[in-house]
Amino acid sequence: MGISCEEVWHDLSDYIDGELNSNQHALFDAHFAGCPHCRAVLDGARNVIHLYRDERVLAMPAAVEERLQETLREHTRSPRRSFLAWGLAAAAALPLAFGLFSILPRLKRRSSSPQRDVPPGTGLVAVSQDEKIKVFHIAGCAKLEGKPKFISVEEALHDGYTPCPYCIGKARQEKNG
Amino acid sequence: MTPLGVETAVRNCAGVSDQGRATRETEDALIAKILSGQREFFMALVRPYQRTVYAMALSSSRNKEDAEDIVQSALLKALSRLSQFRRESMFGTWLVQITINEVRMRRRKDRRIEMFSLGHTPEDKTNYVPKDFQDWREIPSEALERIEIRETLLKALASIAERYREAFVLRDVHDLSIADTATILGISRGAVKTRLHRARLMLREILAPGLSENGRLAWSAREVQKPWE
Repeated sequence: MGISCEEVWHDLSDYIDGELNSNQHALFDAHFAGCPHCRAVLDGARNVIHLYRDERVLAMPAAVEERLQETLREHTRSPRRSFLAWGLAAAAALPLAFGLFSILPRLKRRSSSPQRDVPPGTGLVAVSQDEKIKVFHIAGCAKLEGKPKFISVEEALHDGYTPCPYCIGKARQEKNG
Repeated sequence: MTPLGVETAVRNCAGVSDQGRATRETEDALIAKILSGQREFFMALVRPYQRTVYAMALSSSRNKEDAEDIVQSALLKALSRLSQFRRESMFGTWLVQITINEVRMRRRKDRRIEMFSLGHTPEDKTNYVPKDFQDWREIPSEALERIEIRETLLKALASIAERYREAFVLRDVHDLSIADTATILGISRGAVKTRLHRARLMLREILAPGLSENGRLAWSAREVQKPWE
């Protein structure tokens, strides 16, 4: 006994993937031999698979691959070099950062620009979200331009920010009275 | 180590051919090197999966720039989270999962793309009835040299619903098994088979009438062949 077109449509993918048992497979073969419509559907589905499996379809363009390789190269450089660079920067910046923190409360009190203030009690410094130069500031610094973002000193140093020279000068002045 | 040196070392120590996909042992060796600090081996680790990652991104994006961005984000996430890879699956499976998550995350941010998707029908293959029986026996492999035909295939793939597209790309583009596809998508084998079935038949219906946007296709007669016969 044969099978209907509906049964063929239902299990067509299983037939293509070889997931049917031998009896079912033989029934499908017999159906396709006598049904041009189902044969057309089968051929079409096989064409689809064959076309998309071709390496040329959905291939990554050479220019994209080149840019991707470049990005990966940047991110996979030997960590020793980048750690060394970060370590040196941190070593140079930490004393300055702690010096700034020692006078932070006094500077906060003198701040006249509320939107530039570090949130009270958070121990954070401000970096500009708009400036390209990676400098971090303490509360009320006149050199902070653009929209401020507040992060910890550790984060700032880790992200490559250096202390604002203006803030350092201010801090020294404050410390010396 | 220079990139060329890395490639040579990978082939020598792990037996990877240019065409071949890295074996599990190869991948383990590469992962161990990367985690020990030789991060330059990451490129060799991901290269066999680049096409799948790109295909997944491209067929789900509005343009090639978005796709490139998705691929880059997915690969960098894989690099930064490599120490979290538990080896319960192949690296490729894990990488493709990261890519799918990236695609889904961006899709949630931009629901507009979903409006153009076809095939939001209940996930049931019993109700499928072909809309036409156009005879599409001929297949033009040489036609794939033509950019417009590759673009048409991409558009067709992008037009079907995400769940069908994901199953199709993993199984029919990347040639993964149904079991691996099920693992990556976190669904049953039966669900994979159903989605695959729908994807194949929807794509047939989109492409069979012709690949040109305004009507007729026209595969050239000399391009015709039937590779499975």
